[in-house]
This record gives sequence, C-alpha cells and structure tokens, in this order.
Amino acid sequence: MMLSRAKPAVGGDLPQADKRKKKGRKIPKLEELLSQRDFTGAITLLEFKRHVGEQEEDTNLWIGYCAFHLGDYKRALEEYENATKEENCNPEVWVNLACTYFFLGMYKQAEAAGFKAPKSRLQNRLLFHLAHKFNDEKKLMNFHQNLQDITEDQLSLASIHYMRSHYQEAIDIYKRILLDNREYLALNVYVALCYYKLDYYDVSQEVLAVYLQQIPDSTIALNLKACNHFRLYNGKAAEAELKSLMDNASSSFEFAKELIKHNLVVFRGGEGALQVLPPLVDVIPEARLNLVIYYLRQDDVQEAYNLIKDLEPTTPQEYILKGVVNAALGQEMGSRDHMKIAQQFFQLVGGSASECDTIPGRQCMASCFFLLKQFDDVLIYLNSFKSYFYNDDIFNFNYAQAKAATGNTSEGEEVFLLIQSEKMKNDYIYLSWLARCYIINKKPRLAWELYLKMETSGESFSLLQLIANDCYKMGQFYYSAKAFDVLERLDPNPEYWEGKRGACVGIFQMILAGREPKETLREVLHLLRSTGNTQVEYIIRIMKKWAKENRVPV
Amino acid sequence: TDSEGLQTKIVENQTYDERLEINDSEEAASIYTPTSRHEGLSHSAHIPNKTMADNSSDEYEEENNKEKKKTSKLTPQRGFSENDDDDDDSSETDSDEDDDDEEHGAPLEGAYDPADYEHLPVSAEIKELFQYISRYTPQLIDLDHKLKPFIPDFIPAVGDIDAFLKVPRPDGKPDNLGLLVLDEPSTKQSDPTVLSLWLTENSKQHNLTQHMKVKSLEDAEKNPKAIDTWIESISELHRSKPPATVHYTRPMPDIDTLMQEWSPEFEELLGKVSLPTAEIDCSLAEYIDMICAILDIPIYKSRIQSLHLLFSLYSEFKNSQHFKALAEGKKAFTPPSNATSQAGDAETLAFS
Repeated sequence: MMLSRAKPAVGGDLPQADKRKKKGRKIPKLEELLSQRDFTGAITLLEFKRHVGEQEEDTNLWIGYCAFHLGDYKRALEEYENATKEENCNPEVWVNLACTYFFLGMYKQAEAAGFKAPKSRLQNRLLFHLAHKFNDEKKLMNFHQNLQDITEDQLSLASIHYMRSHYQEAIDIYKRILLDNREYLALNVYVALCYYKLDYYDVSQEVLAVYLQQIPDSTIALNLKACNHFRLYNGKAAEAELKSLMDNASSSFEFAKELIKHNLVVFRGGEGALQVLPPLVDVIPEARLNLVIYYLRQDDVQEAYNLIKDLEPTTPQEYILKGVVNAALGQEMGSRDHMKIAQQFFQLVGGSASECDTIPGRQCMASCFFLLKQFDDVLIYLNSFKSYFYNDDIFNFNYAQAKAATGNTSEGEEVFLLIQSEKMKNDYIYLSWLARCYIINKKPRLAWELYLKMETSGESFSLLQLIANDCYKMGQFYYSAKAFDVLERLDPNPEYWEGKRGACVGIFQMILAGREPKETLREVLHLLRSTGNTQVEYIIRIMKKWAKENRVPV
Repeated sequence: TDSEGLQTKIVENQTYDERLEINDSEEAASIYTPTSRHEGLSHSAHIPNKTMADNSSDEYEEENNKEKKKTSKLTPQRGFSENDDDDDDSSETDSDEDDDDEEHGAPLEGAYDPADYEHLPVSAEIKELFQYISRYTPQLIDLDHKLKPFIPDFIPAVGDIDAFLKVPRPDGKPDNLGLLVLDEPSTKQSDPTVLSLWLTENSKQHNLTQHMKVKSLEDAEKNPKAIDTWIESISELHRSKPPATVHYTRPMPDIDTLMQEWSPEFEELLGKVSLPTAEIDCSLAEYIDMICAILDIPIYKSRIQSLHLLFSLYSEFKNSQHFKALAEGKKAFTPPSNATSQAGDAETLAFS
C-alpha cells in the first residue's frame, strides 16, 4: 500500500545533501554497518546475502550477533538454537545461546546451555550472574573467585555490585579501570548510573556529559539524563529530554522502546499507567512498583496490596512501598498485623545508614513513630523536612495530628486548615481533631459549625459527644449544652441529661460572672424545658427568680 | 545479648549482604542497612542533620514537658525494637506518657476550674445550683489517629549496567562494545525494506523483491515523520536508478516508426547480401554511422544519443512477444525477417 503511494513521487532535481545519496551505487559493507551500530542494516545485508546465495560461513552466527546487540533476543535465540542443532556446531555457540537465554529472563535454560559450553571467561561471568539470580551464595562465591583481573571480568563484577545496591564498590572499579583506559568512554555512563542511584543527580549529570559530548544520541545516556532531570527538576523537563530522543530516532529503532514508554508514564505523573505498565511488570523492575504507586494514589489499596504482597523486597524503595501498602491496608481493615509489618519496614529503612538522611528515610521514621503513637518523635522527623512539603495534604494531615496529639493545638489547627483535599476534610479523623483543636483554642462555635455541616451518622453522633464533653471540660457551656441537648433527643440516656443540666447551670454561672451575655438565659431556659425531668422546674424557678431581680427579660 | 540489645548495633556491609531479614520477634534490636552508601560526597537530596535538630528544638520550646525529651531521640539511628523486653517496656511507657499528656490535658490550659467562680456573690440557693456543674464529669473521649502514608514519587527506570554477558563477534575480533561506546544500537538504524530495495537494485536480481516483507505502519496518521522518511528514501532509490526515458536534444524518430518493415526490395536484397559485420575494416565511429544509417537513425554531433536509440530499438525487439514467437516459429524455414536480422545485427554490435 505504502509502496504504490510512493512510486509516482519521482520528483524534480531537488538537491539532496543526504549521505544516502553518496551511498548511491555503493552497497554498504558489513563492517561499516557494525561500526555504526546499525545492526538492523547489518541483519538486512546478511539476510540478503543468505537469500541470493552469497552466503559466507557463519552468516547465521553473524545474524545472531547483530540481533543480540540490537536487543532482539528472540531473533538471536532463533539463530543460535538453529546453530546448535547443526551437526558440526562450534561448541562456543552454546555460551552465546546461554547469554541470549539470560537476557530473555530464561535463567534455567541459560544455565543448562552455559554448562554445555567449553570453559571460558564469558561462561564464568554468565554462571556468576546466574548464581546471583538464583540467590545461590555458595556458587556465587565460587564463580566470583574465578573472576580474573581483566577488564571484562571486573566490569561484570561491578555490574553485580550495582544490582546489589553496592554502588560505591562499583564506582571504585570503574574509576580504577578508567585511570588506565581513558578511552573507555562508556564507563563514564556506568559511573553516572551509580551516582544516580546514590541520589547524586548533579554529579551524575556531570559524568554523563563526558559521554554525551562524544555520542550525543545515545539512548541509554539520554534516558539517564531525563531521569536526572526528573529528580532535579520535574517531569516536564524530563519528558523534553525523552522527546528529543524519540524525535531523532529512526522509525525502525526499537531498542529500549519499553523503557521509554515506561518512563513517559512516570514523567507524566502516572498518565496512561493502566495501559502501559501491566504488560511491563516483571520486564522492567520499576513497573510493578509504579503500578502500586498508581493504585495507592487512586486509593485502591487492595489492588496495590495484591501486586506487592509476594514481592520479596531488596531495595529501599521496595521496603518503603511494602511499608506504605501495609500501613494503608492495616488502617483500612484495622489489622494490627499489617500495621506491625508496616512499622517494621519503616523502621528498617529509616534506620539504615543509607536512608536515614534522605527525605524518604525520614518519612519512614516519622511513619514508624506515628504507628507507635510516639508523636514527639514523629514531630522531630516531620519538622526535619517540612519545608519540602508545605502544601502537601498528606504531610499536613499527619503533621497536624502529631501537633494536636502533643498538645500544640494552635499549630495543629493552623496546619489542619492548610489541607485542600475535600476527601480528607470529610475524614472523621480530620473533623474530630480539628473540632478538638477549635475547642481547646476557645473557638467552640467553629467546632459546632463542623457538626452542623455533617450529615446525620454515627460519626456526627461521635462528634457531638466530643463537642459536648470537650466544651464542658473547657467551660464552654453554651455549646456543650447545645450538644448535650441534641444527644439527649437522639438517645434518652440519663447521662446526657446530667451533662445538659450541668452545662445549662454552667452558662448561668458564666452569665453571673459576666462572661456570657444575659440574653443567653432565655435560650438556656428553652433548652431546659425540652427535657421532661422534675428537676427542670426547680432549676428554672431559681434562674427566673434571678432574672426578675436583675431585670433580665426571659 | 540482652544488654547489647539496648544499644544500636550496626551490621557492617559484607560483600553480598543486601538480603534483609525482618526483625524476628525474638531478635535483639539492631539496625539493618539495606544498602551501602558511602559518606563524604555532596549529596543534594540529603538533608543535613543540622536542620532537623534546629527545627525540633524550636518546637520543643513551646511545649511544657521539655524535661521528658531525651536527646538520644534526635539521632535517627537510635535502635529500638518493640520485641525486646526492655525496649518494649520503655516504648510502652513512652506512649503512655504521651497519651497522658494528650488525654488528661495535664493540666489543660484554659480548662474550667470551679474555684475561679467561688467568689461570685450569689445566694445560697444559686450556690447550691452551681453544684450541678461539678456533678457531671465530662468524659475523656479518645480520638483515633490515622497515618496517611507518604506515597513515594513514581520511579523512573534507568536500566542495569552492562554485565559483559555479551556474545562476541563470530570472527573473534574485539568489538569494544560496552567499553569505547555503550553496547546499544545507534538511534539511526537502516530501514530494512529500503535497504533491501537498494541491495536488490544493486544486484540486478529484480525478482528478489517479490519475496520481501513489507512492513506496515501502525497509527500512520499520527506518524507523519515515518511516512515522510519512507517517501524520501524511496524517492532517493528511484533517483539513483537510470532514468526510464531520455530526452533527446535533437529530433529523433520514435521507436514505432523505426520498427516498420523495410521495403520489399530491400528485404529481398537482404536475403542475398548480409549486413556488414563488425569484422569490416573501418573505425568504430564509421561502423556506428553505417549501421545507424541502415536503421534510419540520424546522427548529429554526438553519437551517444543515436546509440541510445539504437539500443532502445534492440531492447524493444528483444522483449517483444510478437517477434519472439515469430522468430522461433519461422527460424528453421524462412529467411530471417527484417526484424530478426535487425535484432541479430544489434546483437553483434553490442558485442563489438
């Protein structure tokens, strides 16, 4: 279809300063294509040769090599599998097949193929990495000892360090090799990756620039640059980097496409997460975590839990997320077990040497102490990073509770009022704590208004009890009496009458002390009359008597 | 280990220790380190400890129970475990004390105190009435706390580092992938379809094209760039081919005219006399002039265009089904027609 559309388009003699033009009659050589890392072109050339019968020896192995470095491991697998089935197959092919299986995540098959290969350094490196994947410490040490002091083996070791989060050890290896081999530019990118993982984003940028200066269109390097921008600035800045990468890539460029799609979701704050991330779970390690984060943000705690419950955490991020999900679920279901797990994970991360001075680490410590209800400690940690979260509802929700719980109701009130989310503002935790703050801060009317805005429910009943009793305690008898009056109507419990009686007399006392306007007496009498108790007449009589003597109209 | 349990115990990093176990209920308190990070580098995302101490000391000045704060709590690495007996007790007490502060108000500032109103000059009757106030003791209402967990930011993926588990070149030469350059394909990859067309074009085996896979483009309307690139590369391919027609600078007869039969007399003569072959004793230029004259092809200053017309004529005869059938059918019995003879001559010419 496309072909026929293009055919008549032989146009005028527009000057074409394209390098293809030069190629004109020249068939590209395999070596040229390889040195340009145009593996797609190389495969096309090799296939063409195979097709016209110009086949040289090892064409299949060359295709396998190109497909492998193109990242098309399925294709490479096809070639190598066929090669191993040939009669006089070079035994070295087995290790190639093993490497291919490894990158396809087929570790069992990789091991089996690896063992069929003759002993070689590559074979040892492969088995070393497989031992890491299988968590087989004994084998790992064995193969580790077989590593030699040659560049490839050392780089392979550094890569294990990286995967085990031992970034400094990896950096040490890279720097040592770079000292003698300045021309090994790629190592700069590896160092930049380590610094990224260590949260030194600006250092990472600097080291990365060395490589990008020479190879400005490197996918891995540009993606890292975008990630650094995401951490240093924001998603927009990061997306711009990826955009330029995508714009410059040719349409047949498939390498790292999944990684880029994944990161676009991240940079766009989760946009398209449900379309993009599920198929990438267990392909890109971060995809599962990001999907969990997405569900948490959507308040779908159960989905988040389902995704993460079987994950064996190894990185701080994984520990934190497990803690967060358990904390959210534990509180939702009232499960002490989940809360306990959450608290332990938070403690583990927050207490670790690597995380104790990072914001996530301190969030963990604050959360841990919050779950233990040690609010003085919660405040120590929250205060240490509050400047980064001034307008953050979640932060303020926790911060205000901790303030209020430690008796600092005036700041508690202030922080509660910073919260914007309607959902949080309708949360009973918010309403009850804010009401308490109001009452202690001598603003009982505002607490009463919180009640008035609520719909009748168990929660509004609880809030009434809070207002009735807290106001009573603070000598704010007017609102206490009003609250007890409603409580009494809803539930003819004699206790509410006692409260109302005390509160009404309390108002009377305040009127006598000049702290309430005399006119309030009329309302007091009204409140009292609504109860059919014999004591009512006695109290009313005394109050009326006083009113008459003091010429207060009732 | 009980006494040790109270102290912070840092587990040193060992070569492969990042696997973590969660504190078991029987284990002593210890600080685990999920990752190893070395101090000493400037760390933009890290908060200096100072900030934390400063802020917190401010906070505490406002609170009345300062003496309770232990400085040890300021160190983030304080070891604690709710499972260890001793620790458990102390943390329990801690939270109990907190609860006390909170619930009993100890003493709550501004709380109602009947003593404040004892001085009021009131009748005995009213004084008795005031007793009702103290007869009700307000309930202590416990409020729940709810931690809204800090949901982490989305996490971008940077991938892993080259582990040197890569297949070598089949010829064993070093490729330096992962050393001089990253082991990744360049962003400029050939379009396989276009390259195949080029290769086919160059090899002159046009029949190969039929077996070629032609890719299709998803969401083509959203991808004008890919379409433009495709059109561009195909145009280029076509430009590189020899043009289908040549525009002669001087008037030339068209092919159909040249393919007309000769006059019968001439045909008859050709039966007796054969056309001059390349053996003839003359220069190539003269020979070209001669043959073109016989075939009614004019020659101007240059012979190139005339030769082009000559070969086009030859090609036309050669590919014509009509003459092919004619030639094969009559080959054995009839003298060569003008067509075949012309064709035959052209062939000799071509090889000369």
